[in-house]
Amino acid sequence: MGSTVLVLGAGISGHTAAMTLRRKLGRDHKVVVVSPNSNYQWVPSNIWVGVGRMRAEQVWFPLAPIYRRKGIEFHQAAATVIHPDGDGSSPRPFVEVEYTEEGRKGQSGRIDYDWLVNATGPKLNFAAIEGLGPEGFSESVCTYGHAAHAWQSLQACISRMEKGERQRFVIGMGHPMATCQGAGFEYALNVAFEIRNRGLQDLAEITWLTNEYEVGDFGMGGAFVRKGGYITSTKIFTESILAEYGIEWIKRAGVTKVEDGRIRYETLDGGLHAIDFDFAMLIPAFAGVGLKVLDASGADVTGEYLAPNGLMKVDADYAAKPYEDWSVDDWPSTYRSPMRPNVFAAGIAFAPPHSISKPFESPRGTKIYPTPPRTGMPSGVIGKVVALNIVESITSGAESLRHKASMGRMGAACIVSSGYGLVHGMAATMTVFPIVPDYATYPEWGRDIGYTVGEPGLAGHWLKHFMHYMFMYKARGLPFWSLIPE
Amino acid sequence: MSELVKVFPRYTQEAYPPIPTRATQFWRKNKLYQLWRFIVLNAKIMRIVVGGHS
Repeated sequence: MGSTVLVLGAGISGHTAAMTLRRKLGRDHKVVVVSPNSNYQWVPSNIWVGVGRMRAEQVWFPLAPIYRRKGIEFHQAAATVIHPDGDGSSPRPFVEVEYTEEGRKGQSGRIDYDWLVNATGPKLNFAAIEGLGPEGFSESVCTYGHAAHAWQSLQACISRMEKGERQRFVIGMGHPMATCQGAGFEYALNVAFEIRNRGLQDLAEITWLTNEYEVGDFGMGGAFVRKGGYITSTKIFTESILAEYGIEWIKRAGVTKVEDGRIRYETLDGGLHAIDFDFAMLIPAFAGVGLKVLDASGADVTGEYLAPNGLMKVDADYAAKPYEDWSVDDWPSTYRSPMRPNVFAAGIAFAPPHSISKPFESPRGTKIYPTPPRTGMPSGVIGKVVALNIVESITSGAESLRHKASMGRMGAACIVSSGYGLVHGMAATMTVFPIVPDYATYPEWGRDIGYTVGEPGLAGHWLKHFMHYMFMYKARGLPFWSLIPE
Repeated sequence: MSELVKVFPRYTQEAYPPIPTRATQFWRKNKLYQLWRFIVLNAKIMRIVVGGHS
């Protein structure tokens, strides 16, 4: 009898896992995807939606036709409760879901599984900060819908500037421990580019508001690149780009409240400040999507499977230890739950053992530092190795964890767009290897300096554009899609 | 963008970072040179991707 592999989530990690599982497993095995969203979105291009360079429709496509074509069972629903040991009626593990599609909205269901991949991604935790988010007073580019809304607000500011009115833009992190600095930074540069493109820069004040200890930390403790005969910190590199684009910055800042036209924030020295804005795009903190886990008797065992932030514990070392004792070996490599051998967490859904950036706390006790970034390339790679291990375990009949992808052993590329156009476009290409600094292997800089790049130029824009079409093609499962790497 | 670069007042943090010269800006936009960089950067990214998991 075939196995059922249930994938929760159809973002970069979940979709990669589902497509890999389907490609590698025979048709006697079932691949089931549960996602509350009917569409796949290529999140990195939301930045271009947020400045009007792409329409929202260009960064998403409906999942159902692709899954139908590939033979993947799709449920448009949100997973609510995992029952890893079944319940009183059956010992077979299952997940409770609540449907979100029109016509079945609110109905609940039960989907049995033999293998589970939790790739539910983040809950955008706007509620953690009063007034934050599109339902409050700030914008977001975390979804294509948010990005389209941000573009509408940005257009209104541009119209006011065209009438001679000064406008203040604040772009950055909307929580003292938010991550995804790269995306926020990219959006700030694109806003500056669009304003300059219209010759309105004298009427704009743009501020990058960040929880990083130094700009260029990007939630991964910064990096060092070889540049102009020096080994240079990404702090210098990032400050240079900000200054070139006329963007001021406020660092070591944790947003505490967003009001109509005013952001309140605390700095690491304990100071309480406020900055007024006409347009603010602030990235929220991420949390787990609110899954619960119940044992066979119905007792709540969520705390054993999930960390307090709702993300799933995997094969990481979660023992609390000081920053100086952190090691790349703390980071997971197979993403399997220590509780059950048939449960995995991929992408943002896995709980990191700790941050990558050094933690800091203000005298008021506010923790102000970025949590680790896990979007894009790492999410795709993790989704793939989880799928490969499940495939090998199913086909061999014996547990296999041969495929590994630790963030302490994998690199990442981040292409920070800073202008649009095949001739006038610009992007800073940043690569690091590994993502988590490994001072045991690379004592000087924590990373392989030969692989670590920070380079602005037109080539970066071509790369970013090329990747948009390449990854949309891959995600659609069109011919030879599997040859395109994560 | 040199003609558009905003000059920040001295003794502000924004006044200190290095700013690209005209030559740097030229090479950033030069299509032939950037085509070469496109190939080099692609190769670097591919090596990272391929070596990132086993």
